[in-house]
Amino acid sequence: MKLTMPEGFGRALAAGGSNPASRRGRRNGVGRLVARLWRKSSVAGLAAYALALGGVLGLASADWATSGGYPFGGVQVGDWTAWPRAGAANADPYTRAVNARRGEIPLAVGEGLLLTAAADDAGQALDATCTYRIGGGTPPARAWTLTVAGRGPRDPGRAPVREGFTSTEVLRSADGRFTVVLGPEVQPGNWLPSPRASGPVRLALRLYDTPVAASVGSLDRSTVPAVTRLGCAP
Amino acid sequence: MRPVSLRVVYATLVGLVLAGLVHIAAVLAIPVLSEKDAVSRTRTSEGLDHPQSIYAVATGDDPSTPEAWLPIPDPAVAVGVCAYDLADGPMRVSARTGPLSLSLAAHARRGAFYAVTDQAAVRGALDLVILTRAQYDEALADDDENDPSRDVRIVAPDSRGFVVVRVIAGLPSQRPAANAAVQAVSCTTDTPADEAGKDGSGKGSGR
Repeated sequence: MKLTMPEGFGRALAAGGSNPASRRGRRNGVGRLVARLWRKSSVAGLAAYALALGGVLGLASADWATSGGYPFGGVQVGDWTAWPRAGAANADPYTRAVNARRGEIPLAVGEGLLLTAAADDAGQALDATCTYRIGGGTPPARAWTLTVAGRGPRDPGRAPVREGFTSTEVLRSADGRFTVVLGPEVQPGNWLPSPRASGPVRLALRLYDTPVAASVGSLDRSTVPAVTRLGCAP
Repeated sequence: MRPVSLRVVYATLVGLVLAGLVHIAAVLAIPVLSEKDAVSRTRTSEGLDHPQSIYAVATGDDPSTPEAWLPIPDPAVAVGVCAYDLADGPMRVSARTGPLSLSLAAHARRGAFYAVTDQAAVRGALDLVILTRAQYDEALADDDENDPSRDVRIVAPDSRGFVVVRVIAGLPSQRPAANAAVQAVSCTTDTPADEAGKDGSGKGSGR
C-alpha cells in the first residue's frame, strides 16, 4: 500500500494540473459569468466530494483494519498461527494500533510466544457445539497453557468450570504426549468445556520462556498439537 | 458532458489517494492518541511501590478481578504492572525468585523493549534498573570500580512506560501464591538521595 502511494499521489497532482488548462479555451461572451459560477461551485463540490470520500474511506478502512485481531505478522504452523512479533518494539504499525485499541499487553520475545487456532485441521472454523481432539506435543518451553475463549464478553449465567490446561496439570500418556478433548459434553481424561453454548471459539497456546520465540521458522506441524474434529451436536 | 464526468473521475481518484493517506495517518496515530492503551491505563499505578494487579488468577470461589481490562488473559497467569516516569528518576524493579516462574518485561509506547525471566536471577534476586540515556551515563560515571553494581541497567526509549510482572501458576493450588508473588515484587523510583543511602547499605551488608 505504501509503495503505491507516491505514484497515486503524483497522478492526482497531474490530474489537478491538467484540469483548468483544458477548460481555459471555452471562455466566451455571455455565458462567461454563468460558466465561471458553475465551475466554481462545481470545483468546490468536487473538492468536497473528494475530501469526504477520502476522509470516510480512510477512517473506515483504518477502523476495520485495527478493530479485530492482528492483520499481519502471523506465521502459520500446522493448525496454529504464531505471533512472534506482537509484543516486539519493531512490530508493524497495524499490530501496535490493535494493541493500543484493545489495551493488550502482548508477550515480549524473551517472555514467551502466543499461538492461536481458529480452525481445525480440515480448515473448518472451530465451533462451540462441536467436539475436538487437541493432541500431540508442544515446542520446548518451560511452561505452557492451552486455553479456549469465545468471542466477546463471557456469558454471565454460565458457571466457570475450566478455561484451560497448564503444562503442569495436563494428564499425559506414557510417551509424554497429551490429548485434550474440547466439547460441550463431559469427557474422560483432559476435558476442556466449551466456553459457550454456540458460536465460534478460538484456542490459544501460550509458550512461556521458550527458545522458539526467536526462531518461529524452526516450528513445523509435528511440533504443535493437531486440532481434529470428532463430531458435532446436531 | 464529458469534461464533467472526467472531473468526477479525477475527484474520485483524488479522494481514493486521500483515503490512503488518511488510512495510514490514522493507523499511525492510534497508538499515540489512544487513551485505552496499556501505557495510559497503567498510569494510575505510578505512585505505588509494588505492582498494581491487573489480572489476579481466580482462587477457590474468588473469581478473577472484575476490573481486569486485559482482553483475553491467560487464566493461569497473574499479571501486575508498575508504571514509570523516568523524569522522576530511574525505576528500580526488584524481584526475589520463588518456586513459581516469574518474568519481567519492560514496555514503552512502541512495545516491549526488554524481557527477562527468573532464570537470569543472580543468587535468587533479579534487579532491573530502567533509566534514560543521561541517567545511564551518570550511573556509569558514579560506579565504584572495586564494587561494580549488580543491577541490570536498561536504557528506555521513552520516559514513560511500564514493567509487566507475570507469574505462572501451574496448578490451581499455586494460584494464591502466584497472586502474592506479583505483589511481592518492588518497584521504586531511585531519587539521588535514596541512591546514596542504598549504596551505603548495600556495601555494609557485603553485597
